Amino acid sequence: MAMRLPRLFRTTPCRLTLLFLALFAAAASAFLAYIYVATAGEARRRTDQEITREMSSLVAAYDRAGMDALNQSLIERAASERPFLYLLMGPDGKRISGSIAESPVEKFNGQPSWTSFSVTDLDVMGRPIKHPARGFQERLRDGEILFVGADIGEDQAYVVKIVRALWGAGALVIVLGLLGGVLVSRNVSRSMASLTDVVTAVRNGDLAARARVRGARDEFDELAEGLNEMLDRLERSMAGHRHAGDAIAHDLRSPLTRLRARLESAAINVEAGKADPQEALDQAVTDTDGVLKTFAAVLAIARLQAAGEAPNPVPMDPAALGADIAELYEPLCEDKEIDFKAELVPDLTIRGNQEFLAQALSNLLDNAVKYTPAGGAIMLRVRRRSSGEVEFSVTDTGPGVPEEDRARVVERFVRLENSRNEPGSGLGLSLVAAVAEAHGGRLELAEGPGKVGEIGPGLRVALVLPRAA
Amino acid sequence: MRILIVEDDLEAAEAMDRGLTEGGHDCKRAADGEEGLAAARAGEFDVMIVDRMMPKMDGVTLIETIRREGDQTPVLFLSALGEINDRVAGLKAGGDDYLVKPYAFAELIARVEALSRRRETGSVQTLLRVGELEMDLIGRTVHRQGKEIDLQPREFQLLEFMMRHAGQSVTRTMLLEKVWEYHFDPQTNVIDVHISRLRSKIDKGFDRPMLQTVRGAGYRLDA
Repeated sequence: MAMRLPRLFRTTPCRLTLLFLALFAAAASAFLAYIYVATAGEARRRTDQEITREMSSLVAAYDRAGMDALNQSLIERAASERPFLYLLMGPDGKRISGSIAESPVEKFNGQPSWTSFSVTDLDVMGRPIKHPARGFQERLRDGEILFVGADIGEDQAYVVKIVRALWGAGALVIVLGLLGGVLVSRNVSRSMASLTDVVTAVRNGDLAARARVRGARDEFDELAEGLNEMLDRLERSMAGHRHAGDAIAHDLRSPLTRLRARLESAAINVEAGKADPQEALDQAVTDTDGVLKTFAAVLAIARLQAAGEAPNPVPMDPAALGADIAELYEPLCEDKEIDFKAELVPDLTIRGNQEFLAQALSNLLDNAVKYTPAGGAIMLRVRRRSSGEVEFSVTDTGPGVPEEDRARVVERFVRLENSRNEPGSGLGLSLVAAVAEAHGGRLELAEGPGKVGEIGPGLRVALVLPRAA
Repeated sequence: MRILIVEDDLEAAEAMDRGLTEGGHDCKRAADGEEGLAAARAGEFDVMIVDRMMPKMDGVTLIETIRREGDQTPVLFLSALGEINDRVAGLKAGGDDYLVKPYAFAELIARVEALSRRRETGSVQTLLRVGELEMDLIGRTVHRQGKEIDLQPREFQLLEFMMRHAGQSVTRTMLLEKVWEYHFDPQTNVIDVHISRLRSKIDKGFDRPMLQTVRGAGYRLDA
């Protein structure tokens, strides 16, 4: 911009105010002009009409009965308090009779013509005052000149009042419009400035900056709330990513260390001829697959925790999800001589990520199958709690988890002493917990059906999801 | 089979080339998307293996381009991006299968062979036949040597997949993805148990087993 306008004038609200003011003023002008024409203009037209009618009635009298009749009419009319002004002149312009002294028409060229003039009257105090007047002059058949006029002082006073009112209204429109515009601009500018400040602060690296919500429940509050919520999420997500990075580094270090140690000792043993190279290589591939599985699990957990919510949630029937997983695991249980049952309450709805929920249920059943001895039982249950929450639970008759260890087994890589020799990454329950949290739910561990002889007491793991909104 | 490998990781491309050539396939390599596009336009291939992230032109753009040009060659995407959305994007672009890195070589071979087979069966089939085994896709019945075999719905789907890929190795992951539509690996051998159930139904009481276990890869249905 070549000329720097004051800041206030560069703001959008101010520009809008000026634009609307201009439009409003244009509309007001048109409206006021119409009022002027309809009132002041109408009064004048009416006066002119009356003068014309009077003139033609006098000319008609003259044409019918001559000069005497006209004179007679004029005298009668002058006496009748009519508001008309008359002047009858000879062909030379000399006054013959009438109620005014001389014609206000300066140079009469013989053509009928209108003129505006003023008449002097006395007011109630006897002081002379001038009234505006209007008249019409016409030459009669035999050359005499007749002038008919009217005092339009009262009409004029009315018009002046109207004009004053119109000017006043116009001025009021502009003053109020400007004042309102300035107030609105200042208000809007101030609200915008506080939001701009937050954006600037965030851009400069201060993620903790938040916009002030004034409580007016207007769109600025909405915008401020939206901005704050966005920043909250961003901050959480960044913290999550930082945390995820740390966690992945930490979680992968142990399996990679183990893999490295095994490869090293295999290399030494193969060199010494104590181990078969093929076997060592096969073992290395198997170990690497284990690391990759761990990596996939760690990544899934980290992503869920960083996102703080389940990706692509869709409404779904939890019983159908349970039935699919039950169908996948049922033969495995039968193979291990475990009695498998599924109790799935139909017609419930949850919102979630199908893939992650299926994986969570699969992890729970993997664990149950792993720890339940032959002759035991596993139950998969989908039901609605009285609180409205939807529960997926897997109950087994394995050894269970002592109460004091229950919180700990959900943590990453925690494996209880008696499960050290079972295959698994130690991330199964952590992933289920992450899936539950990402869906706004939680993971609950409890004792199973109890101890019966050598069997039990079992474990009951429940993935509890909030009721669908 | 003529295979085009479009992969910017030269070491990985070379390993694929070597392995597939040993398996009797004829491979051509391209080291970036543009080179891959030129090669795809120039030659006739039975399968293309395309990395998703490459210099000059990414795999998705490459496949979208050749699909627009009417090339229907089956495409296997390779990618380090393994989330569901990434898979969906790859398949939407015109890919026929999606394999996440790092992969087992047996898995790659099995999927490439499965893709080449897909092309041959263009028309809609109502009857599948592999050796003595007959599957009626409309009546949902299976017969071996004229004897009806009673299958659960999932066993039927599993056998249908094996029959459509008869003579080829299919991996556990492929079965989990194509028959169950799950994209995660359970920690236990759930698939093995389903296969052994199916095997007991189609092979038990017959002189010759058809459903074979392929060591280090998965399973194969032989005629």
